[in-house]
Amino acid sequence: MEYILKTNGVSKKYKNRWVLRDVNMSIQRGDIYGFVGENGSGKTTIIRLITGLIFPNEGSFELFGKSNTSPDILESRAKIGAIVESPSIYLNMSARDNLKMQCDILGINDEEKIKSALAEVGLYDLYSDTRKAGNFSLGMRQRLGIAMALIGDVEFLILDEPMNGLDPAGIVDIRELIIRLNREKGITFLISSHILTELSLVATRYGIISHGKIIKEISSDELRNECRRSVVIEAEDRRALLVLLAKTIPVDDIVPVPNGARIYGDIDLNDTLSAVLESGNKILSVNCSESSIEDYYLSVTGGAHHA
Amino acid sequence: MLNLLKVDIKRQFMDKLFLVCAIIGGALAIFSPVLYKLLFSGLGADEFLDSFVSAKAQFFTAFSPANNFGLIAPILVSIILCKDFSYGTIRNKITSGKSRVSIFLSMFLSSTLVMSVLMVAHALITLFVSLIFFDYQSEPFKAADIGYFMLSLLFELLVYVFISALISFFCVAMKNAGVSVVMYVAVNFLFSIIGSITMIAGMAVEPDSTAFKVLEFLNNSNLFTSTMIGTGTSYELSQVFAVLVPTVLGSALFIFLGIWAFSKKDLK
Repeated sequence: MEYILKTNGVSKKYKNRWVLRDVNMSIQRGDIYGFVGENGSGKTTIIRLITGLIFPNEGSFELFGKSNTSPDILESRAKIGAIVESPSIYLNMSARDNLKMQCDILGINDEEKIKSALAEVGLYDLYSDTRKAGNFSLGMRQRLGIAMALIGDVEFLILDEPMNGLDPAGIVDIRELIIRLNREKGITFLISSHILTELSLVATRYGIISHGKIIKEISSDELRNECRRSVVIEAEDRRALLVLLAKTIPVDDIVPVPNGARIYGDIDLNDTLSAVLESGNKILSVNCSESSIEDYYLSVTGGAHHA
Repeated sequence: MLNLLKVDIKRQFMDKLFLVCAIIGGALAIFSPVLYKLLFSGLGADEFLDSFVSAKAQFFTAFSPANNFGLIAPILVSIILCKDFSYGTIRNKITSGKSRVSIFLSMFLSSTLVMSVLMVAHALITLFVSLIFFDYQSEPFKAADIGYFMLSLLFELLVYVFISALISFFCVAMKNAGVSVVMYVAVNFLFSIIGSITMIAGMAVEPDSTAFKVLEFLNNSNLFTSTMIGTGTSYELSQVFAVLVPTVLGSALFIFLGIWAFSKKDLK
């Protein structure tokens, strides 16, 4: 298995506050890695580390097999394209000039690449448009940023909140573009997003981060399995139910709901229900349901934060 | 590195502020000699004009970093340079695998080129307009004057190499146009004040004393206030040193500091 990215205990602090703590994550070639976490959880900090904008205080990482401490890391970075937080574009230049500047940075002298990059993101009309990027809508800037990240025949594309500012049609376009580039060109993706349902439509693997720590890495198949196994038990005495469940089921697998509890993972439902009845509690309802990625996220992060 | 240089030169020449800067430079280049002419005409002292003002002096004064365009150009170039940080486009260079050393050097070299173009164009317009009203110099023009002119021009450009190193350093250290400009103006004012002090002190000490020579060297080496370049007909060795020491050492210092600061900085 070829790893595009592998981090080894990476930590980062700003002043005296640790924003990343002992992060271990890996992205394999061909992955569409969905990076999920609440605001301030450290998603963008990791992206900044990978792209070389900031330096780790502890730990290291490898990009295309090259350590971040080796000078060869620059060669690895030449294979990546990235949008970090917001698209990095010259607001005083047209879309075409922006792409030309990116081509100049990369040493590319091919006008066709500019045309095709604009076409990929649905901005072909802007090729001959002299309007400055400062006059573009947020969505257009986002698309232009993606076009700029794409232009250098990249192998690894890092998109930080790529759906920000896009209209529904734009979201569908970018989603289809990601899937197409992954399938046709084999481009590996790291996509951070708050829109978990949107992410679940493209991601093949997920990394869940909370408070600067990677809590879980899971494949989309594993996630589908996890999401399937969920039972909601509602009882008259919710508190007694939660206490009872906590005795036999790992606390991390129990998420309180208004009248009872949602239980994740494999449980023997008959035994559990019998135990509830034997305790003298009255069962109001039992629902086996397929939970969503949001439910799963809340269950692994303890339900205290919202993505 | 060459790719980065191409990008940096292009973005600076394409910036609207460059055009603004060029217009200001052109306007001030015409304004200054015309003002002298009007002043002397107004005083009815046209016959004394050539003894006080020469086209050569006007040309080299146009380079002064403490005066009109010499003060404005670095400020505007600073703002253009810092746009890489305000637009976030510096990230494109780093994520594309360019080293921070080459990014800084490209910033420094491109600003040197842009600043040199602006200052030389401004000074040449000043020279041409001045030649309409004044003689090139009070003495007859000799072949040796060409060498002196070229050497003086080289010295003036070295001053702007130093200023480019200084503004590039402020740009990467502060990552903000406003703060960079304030820092540059503060340094400019500080050296202007120091220049005034050493000049006044020079008047108070015995000529030919060691203190006088030290103060004279300090005056000549103060790049922001020195009036030594281009105002004579030849250079003494001490004057050459007075130009080369601060420009070469100062540029090297700020290039080193810029690379050091930028290589360690976390970027947003």
